Amino acid sequence: MLVLLASLLLVGVTSLLLGAGDVGPLDAWSVLTGGGSDEARFVVESLRLPRTLIGVAVGMALGVAGSLIQAVARNPLAEPGLLGVSAGSALAVAIALVLGASAATLRISVAQLGALAGCLFVLTMARVNGVGNDPVRLVLAGAILSGLLGALTSLLLLVDQRSADEIRFWVIGSLAGRRLEDLRAILPSLLFAGVLIVAIARPLAALALGERVAVGLGHHPRWIRLLCVIAVAVLVGAATAVAGPIAFVGLVVPFVARALAGPDIRRTLWLTLPLGPIMILSADILARLLVAPSEMPLGVITALVGAPVLIAVVRAHRLPAL
Amino acid sequence: MKTRTLTPPACPMNRPDAGVTPPPGSWRLSWALGERDYSILIERRACFVCLGLLAALLAVSLLSLCLGTLTLSPREALAGVFGYGDPVSAFVVQELRLVRLAAGVATGAAFSLSGCLMQTLARNRLATPGIVGIDNGATAFAVASVVGLGTSLAPPPMALAGAATATAITFALANDVGTRGYRFIVTGIGVGAVFGALTQLLMARVAIDTANAAYPWTVGSLNARDGAALVWLWCGLAIGLVVACYLSRAMRILRFSDAVAQGLGYRVRACRYTALVVSVALAALAVAVAGPVGLVGLIGPEIARQLSSHRGVSLIASALSGAIVMVAADLVGRLLLAPIEVPVGIVTAIVGAPFLLWILLRPAPRFQS
Repeated sequence: MLVLLASLLLVGVTSLLLGAGDVGPLDAWSVLTGGGSDEARFVVESLRLPRTLIGVAVGMALGVAGSLIQAVARNPLAEPGLLGVSAGSALAVAIALVLGASAATLRISVAQLGALAGCLFVLTMARVNGVGNDPVRLVLAGAILSGLLGALTSLLLLVDQRSADEIRFWVIGSLAGRRLEDLRAILPSLLFAGVLIVAIARPLAALALGERVAVGLGHHPRWIRLLCVIAVAVLVGAATAVAGPIAFVGLVVPFVARALAGPDIRRTLWLTLPLGPIMILSADILARLLVAPSEMPLGVITALVGAPVLIAVVRAHRLPAL
Repeated sequence: MKTRTLTPPACPMNRPDAGVTPPPGSWRLSWALGERDYSILIERRACFVCLGLLAALLAVSLLSLCLGTLTLSPREALAGVFGYGDPVSAFVVQELRLVRLAAGVATGAAFSLSGCLMQTLARNRLATPGIVGIDNGATAFAVASVVGLGTSLAPPPMALAGAATATAITFALANDVGTRGYRFIVTGIGVGAVFGALTQLLMARVAIDTANAAYPWTVGSLNARDGAALVWLWCGLAIGLVVACYLSRAMRILRFSDAVAQGLGYRVRACRYTALVVSVALAALAVAVAGPVGLVGLIGPEIARQLSSHRGVSLIASALSGAIVMVAADLVGRLLLAPIEVPVGIVTAIVGAPFLLWILLRPAPRFQS
């Protein structure tokens, strides 16, 4: 845990120091230590700092959401981005924009509603004909659902050029150009989800032992699952509202966390808190540096890291049962 | 002791075959050539299905020639095809719609045939090039050739190289999990995701004009087809159809287990590799024209399968229905939100995804094609 926190700090500082523009690491460092030119000060304080903080928030949200949804679906491959939860929330935002909402006001709650709908839909699908019993099949269904929702989003954006302009940079998933107000807007949701998770962490750990055990210990599996799904939707909706749909974070982070902490969901959740931001921030740094002076979508980097992990998990002969 | 002379058993191959009755529901054509007689069985139903699909394809094509920003009557459209009539409509039909139609028919047929071959050889109904990441590989390489990463190769050969790479990776990774299960598919999805990300990476690295030139490859559209790529595709399709017809008998047998196919005297490996090569090449050439519209490769064979009998693998019918789907989807995309054009990739995704879900979720899945 200490090591993880230290590396999070390291990645955070690196994210402040490095960038695509003219301000080099040395200039940025002098800003951090209290000096520096005006330009460097502006870049670090009003561009890189919000970006880094938002990266931390988004990383935490996505990592925790990934852990939770894996626990609910009892499936090590479940991931908000792959299962269509992020795509649902993107579609909801697109619909709201086309119906005439302005980008600033509605986005977060709408994104959360969309995420909830996507989540419930995919979990209902998991109950049809035992799709959920086969982890890989569920992922396939989720991938198809994601594709469908993504195509619908593109269609809506084609219809309405105005919203297309507003949303185009958002829909590909990136941390560029986000302001501190965006972070402030999602903080209440994150806190709410945090409280919810603290409340259900124990029952969730019991549920991991099996439904009967959980019932025997006096928990209500249905309620736990429902609360869990709500928490996932709140987290993913908030993260998507700020950063756009970013896939694979919720897959990789819990995967690493489980490898470090073992099967107990409570310990895994603690570990995902630093791990998620570490992954998002490193990916964001890469996204800034790889194609400097322009930037590339964050989702591209996470996909490049995450897809091999997906393949590795699928290829493992014995899928770890959750 | 009297020696018995062994007379060779009467070989049916060498004899005129007056008394042979064809199996029910099929015609038998036989002819003599030199010493031997040859015969083929033609399934009546397959024949009718193909003719019906051909008629439907012609009808859809005519619609696609007639409808658009400038609506023509069928008579005008046909006159335009042959260069008579009003010069404006002749121009519209010959220069714009006819080329587009040719691209639509060819890509649809190629995707669908490729999908059908791969489904059969992987014995997995969901294993089409679009889903297991081969389209994405081809797209990534085609985009690389357009944005010019030190290569001067045209998109078609680059798409071929990309598809081959993606196939090699997917099949190598799936080597020990086999191609039958869902793990193969999800492995393919993972490979596809990597190539998709690479495509985006390439697009992000170049100037906006170049990125715009490469953009059609990322959504799948018939709008920006390139003449040379189209010629490549038609040539590939012609070869592919011939090889596929030659293979169709073997494909039928390949649906059984390897042991059965081998026992019946087929060279399973050779058949499988040939089919794989044809399938991958067709998918790549089609991607070079229209970008990844891979869901056609799933819808086309499925329609053909519903129409045909379960005896054979209906390759020709698949190609025809794929062409119909593609032309129809393009037509819908052009008309739906006119004057904006919806890329055909989006239309097929919206139509195809529910269909995929249905395949995945229906009660008693028999995932053999």
